[in-house]
Amino acid sequence: MTTTDTTTTTEPGERLVETWNGEVTLRVRVAGSGPPLVYLHAAGGLVWDPFLARLAEDWTVYAPEFPGTTPGDPYAVHAIDGVWDAVLIYEQALRALGLSDVPLIGQSFGGMLAAELAAAYPAMFSRLVLLDPVGLWLDDAPVSNWVAAAPPELVAMLFHDPSGEAARKLLELPEDPGERAAAQAAMVWNLGATAKLCWPVPDRGLHRRLHRVTAPTLIVWGEQDTLIPPLYAEEFRRRIADSRVAIVPGAGHVPQMEQTAETLRVVRGFLT
Amino acid sequence: MKITYFQQVPYRHLPPDFEQHHEAAVTTPYHPLTRPDLVHRAFGDALGEIMHAARSGFDAVAVTEHGQSSYDMAPNPDLLMAAAAHATEVEGLATGIYPMGRSLGKSREPLRVAEELAMLDAISGGRLIAGFPVGLAYDANINNGVVPAETRLRFDENLELVLKAWQARENFAWNGRFHQYPLVNLWPRPLQEPHPPVFVTGIGNPRTMEFCLRRGFGFNYFGWFGARVTGRRVFDRFWDAARRLGKDENPYRMGFMQTICVADTDAKAEKLYAEHAEYFFRKAIGSIPMQRLALPGGIDIKGLEFLFRDPGDFGIYEKMRQASFADLVEAGSVICGSPATVRDRITGFARDFRIGNLHAMLQFGSMPTELARDNISLFAEQVMPALRGVWADQDWPHHWWPQRLGGTPGPAAEDTGTTHAKAVHAR
Repeated sequence: MTTTDTTTTTEPGERLVETWNGEVTLRVRVAGSGPPLVYLHAAGGLVWDPFLARLAEDWTVYAPEFPGTTPGDPYAVHAIDGVWDAVLIYEQALRALGLSDVPLIGQSFGGMLAAELAAAYPAMFSRLVLLDPVGLWLDDAPVSNWVAAAPPELVAMLFHDPSGEAARKLLELPEDPGERAAAQAAMVWNLGATAKLCWPVPDRGLHRRLHRVTAPTLIVWGEQDTLIPPLYAEEFRRRIADSRVAIVPGAGHVPQMEQTAETLRVVRGFLT
Repeated sequence: MKITYFQQVPYRHLPPDFEQHHEAAVTTPYHPLTRPDLVHRAFGDALGEIMHAARSGFDAVAVTEHGQSSYDMAPNPDLLMAAAAHATEVEGLATGIYPMGRSLGKSREPLRVAEELAMLDAISGGRLIAGFPVGLAYDANINNGVVPAETRLRFDENLELVLKAWQARENFAWNGRFHQYPLVNLWPRPLQEPHPPVFVTGIGNPRTMEFCLRRGFGFNYFGWFGARVTGRRVFDRFWDAARRLGKDENPYRMGFMQTICVADTDAKAEKLYAEHAEYFFRKAIGSIPMQRLALPGGIDIKGLEFLFRDPGDFGIYEKMRQASFADLVEAGSVICGSPATVRDRITGFARDFRIGNLHAMLQFGSMPTELARDNISLFAEQVMPALRGVWADQDWPHHWWPQRLGGTPGPAAEDTGTTHAKAVHAR
């Protein structure tokens, strides 16, 4: 394990954790002060948004990047065959960082991964927060196919207000043509890398494993989420023994970006 | 030059406003748009045209694979090729049987692909030429549920398995990343030694080109995006790669598919074919949206950066859905005119781009079968003889053609299957 930097400023530091017999180096972004908290990002890759910056005021936030989504190391994704590999790699990395009995937050794709980890290693996490997680499938209310969506469709799937500030910020691209192309390529590549664990149907058996989660769990859902309808919140609640649901009005699939204050309020309330 | 007749199985009776309401692939509603008798006829017409081409003296007949699409109802080209293989055998026609082919990034049953193709070689008495596209995103990923990031890896593994299954003298077990088989022992094996010629279809990705050159496979490129726009880029990229890798410039390495229509005069050709060309490009290729042609994970990140910086390899794809006949001719998506016009155009770019195998798409879109047969006949009589001689002045052996049809076995691949197989198995 190499520690390159751990700052408490808005720009997170990073720790590089070697896993998988040296085949996968997980980059973990670290920021803040206070007790540790683990955050797992969505399908598009890690975005250090105001939600994380605010959490870092009270916690030391550890945010691992899914293999393949770290800039400069795209082919790490090929080392992973499926959910089980990913769960083992994350467990190994968190163990190497000395993180146990810590709160775990996951958003969308990261929510699925968080639920998988908490089901596989129930003792590792003190609390679990799932923000609009993927991982389950209902035939009568299928999860939207975000990987095969045209860009405008994808924006409409992610945001209650596709022309709002949150959407604009997430999709902002650099002016420089070279950087712009690289940013676009990375965005597409990240969706492809994470799709390995959740496409074409984002159900790789999590419904059979969720009963193993023992951590008290908060399930947060954007009331206007069209990517995964909010009725999935009840599906998760039903399967996790000690769990409750918080619905965030005025938000689509990414409540932490569209309704940051309200999302922070319910998450903080649950964690403290 | 070898001349292949290239066939798809389009539904030929889509409504005039189709492209305003529908995509050509995956989501196209079947029942409101089709009539059973016309679907039936589509297959009879296509097979009839294939046989008409074989009787007209084409060097091979070729069919592609596309599932769940209105523009090509051929989810497995081997079915049509089996019919053609037997019929040509019965009639004594020395025609190559060229499925162009089975998509190996898509296939979840690679051993079945190996078996089917071995059957085709056996039925045709050694006339098989095997095409292996990596697979279009909508077909491999959406139609067959393959994770896009795995398409290329599956292609690599499946190709190694097919080649080994064809050539192995001993039974073997296969322990791949995606497939495990306890015992592989094909009945039949292909007749051709060491194995039938192999072509890989690409859209311009330099990695695919280098792979073909290193392994000694032929490379196929399709000209629907307009070779007058894309040709200079794509073909030069291939021959640059050949030089870089120290490979010869044997034009038979290169196959090219071109949409072509011929009539007595240029004016008559336009009058006869313009509506069918517009039908094809607007309702077929032009109506496949970009998010179906490319899915995240399917294109390497370096390739993505290249495409975002410079989308030139897509030619006129963006405006195809509204393309006029003049646009299509201008871009080279279709070559249309009198025999002399068509001859000159094809001869010119074949020499320029070093194309040794031309795949002539002579039926497309709504073109009725009578007109398609006229097109095939006129092309065979008045264009093909001149094209045959394009490389006659140079003494290149054709290593990518069945020996029974004049090919020369070889060449030795730089990397043997074992080297590559190691990469396939590496975790």
